Amino acid sequence: MAELQRDPITRSDFLGFGVLGAIMGAILTIPPVAFVLSPVIKTNILGQSDVDPGWVEVGSVAEVKENEPSVFQIEFPIDQAYGTKHIQEEVPESPRSLERFTIRNAVWVSWKAPIKTQGRQGSGGDELAAAERPAILDQKTEGFTQSEREEIMSKLNVLSNSCAHLGCPVRWFPDQKLFLCPCHGGLYDINGGYVGGPPPRGMYRYTQAEVREDGKLYVKHEYDAGPEHREKGPQEPYVV
Amino acid sequence: MYAAATGKAKPVEEEVITEENVYSRPDETIAFFPGQVLKDGYVSTFILLACVVLSYAAPAPLSEPADTATVDYVPRPEWFFFFYEQMLMFFPGYALISFGAVVVPTVFIVLLFAVPWLDRSPQHYNSISRPFASVLGILVLIIVILNMLLAVSRIINFPEA
Amino acid sequence: MIGRMRTQTTEASKFLVDWMEHRTGIVTIMEHFLYEPVPKRGAWLYTLGSAVLFTITLQFLTGILLLFYYVPTTDHAWNSVSYIMTEAYFGQLIRGIHYWSANFLMAVIGLHMGQVFFSGGYKAPRELNWVVGVILLLLVIGLAFTGYLLRWDQDGFWASVVGMKIGSYSPFVGAYTINFLMGGDVAGPGTLSRFFALHVWLLPAAIAPLIGVHLYLLRRHGVFGSEFEYTERLAKLHERQRLEEYADYELDDDDENGRDGGGSRRE
Repeated sequence: MAELQRDPITRSDFLGFGVLGAIMGAILTIPPVAFVLSPVIKTNILGQSDVDPGWVEVGSVAEVKENEPSVFQIEFPIDQAYGTKHIQEEVPESPRSLERFTIRNAVWVSWKAPIKTQGRQGSGGDELAAAERPAILDQKTEGFTQSEREEIMSKLNVLSNSCAHLGCPVRWFPDQKLFLCPCHGGLYDINGGYVGGPPPRGMYRYTQAEVREDGKLYVKHEYDAGPEHREKGPQEPYVV
Repeated sequence: MYAAATGKAKPVEEEVITEENVYSRPDETIAFFPGQVLKDGYVSTFILLACVVLSYAAPAPLSEPADTATVDYVPRPEWFFFFYEQMLMFFPGYALISFGAVVVPTVFIVLLFAVPWLDRSPQHYNSISRPFASVLGILVLIIVILNMLLAVSRIINFPEA
Repeated sequence: MIGRMRTQTTEASKFLVDWMEHRTGIVTIMEHFLYEPVPKRGAWLYTLGSAVLFTITLQFLTGILLLFYYVPTTDHAWNSVSYIMTEAYFGQLIRGIHYWSANFLMAVIGLHMGQVFFSGGYKAPRELNWVVGVILLLLVIGLAFTGYLLRWDQDGFWASVVGMKIGSYSPFVGAYTINFLMGGDVAGPGTLSRFFALHVWLLPAAIAPLIGVHLYLLRRHGVFGSEFEYTERLAKLHERQRLEEYADYELDDDDENGRDGGGSRRE
């Protein structure tokens, strides 16, 4: 092997390396980073959502039993990656799948049980009276007036099945009258209030929910989480 | 150079060990090939055979297609994450979840990186002559194993809905 | 006749070997690689490291094979894995080896790490090899985490949901972390694509050269630990150096610390 030859780095060499480094660095770092982080830029910085903001039908409120939550499975259309709507519809006559990509949600719907005494953190949750089913539902299951719909809505819990701890699907245990998260044992009462276990708060509620004249419940993909619900904590349900 | 290092004849007389000759007389050696390669081969073949047998005796699992709207599925991590998952149960509430799930593991990993600089005593190689490090290591092992057992017992005892 | 054929064959192969050696130097490299002396004691313990290498090789091999049929989209991922398991010839075996050797890999890495830790194999001059090893461990954990989702079945999906949501509890960057992993604000097509890219390209591409560095450093310094006789010789050397240092202190106040001053003081 030949002797090593160490030439001095001249000012113009140094300048050359600087210019090349700047060009290479700019082209090979900024676009790739933005490319990979584009979902983060869209959701966290621009505040866009992949989920369609429209209403989705959940089901008839008359089906919700007394003293026991009922589960409904719904689908929100989403626009994510290759599942984006306009990409799917770009060539409508092509035999490719025109199927709309969706995110499925399980919604627990129950009648509110009045809180007798507000529980404190660590006290094992609120003390609850029996859940109240509006009497109007015994007479009719659709064609409600405005005031009747408001009364029904004020008595309804519309909860996400995503555990506030780490997002596992919660289930109802009728004997204990509690929601249980199968992952780490988070417990919630029928109102979705925190009872025990590691979750930092109660279950996520759908903030946009309404009963229409046909007696059906409709929801939007919005929860009591995020910046405007700071008192409940910074966590969002994410994932579903 | 390589042939010289096969120090099969050990010195009988007491020699003065200096910086230069400290590495010159290792324990009895074997050539990497075939001695070590053969041993590695035995272990590798055993693992491969075990994989083949297991792939038919206990096929790689594939459960139902993913459904975000399930209410009766019980999520479980893989066994090597059991201890971590079990740890999460001990940290309720916002501050503690971040602490237990993110901060503690990060600190642990940083400490793991720093092990060679935390325990630098060059003369203490075997575990008995450096009890502090060994006890710490065994403690970590015990915590991991106990947590795994707790997770297993929790999974076995999960109530049927 | 047979004898002449044999001499001709050996001459031909000798010519080939010489030719290759002259062009590439491969023979010398192979000889250095194969005939390096390694300690006889503890040879079975050192098979742990090579078992890790072997299982990772199996992962690469079977992983590449699985890609012949696997489709990383939410509407077909599960179907393609199901196809591998039921229809493809030896699909169950290929996926089985990928799955089971991944499990063995985690177990063997644990044992390998324990062996290095308890035998003090991370001490000078092998600190950087330990550091590279810990990076490799993290990469393997990343691979295990991202690989689980690719089946798009309930097991993998929900385990990943929990994992991603743990990321959302990171101090300060939680929301960014989870949205980065999900490729959006819900788990969907973007999530699977991301995990696929990480599992199939990014992490393996990172792990492969680091394995090379790990092996290079191992070869440079040799295996080492309490089961090796160097230890006694080193201990004797350091004891002698320490005594000489004390003698130096007594002779004059020259505050020159020995190479291992820190270590000696600690004990």
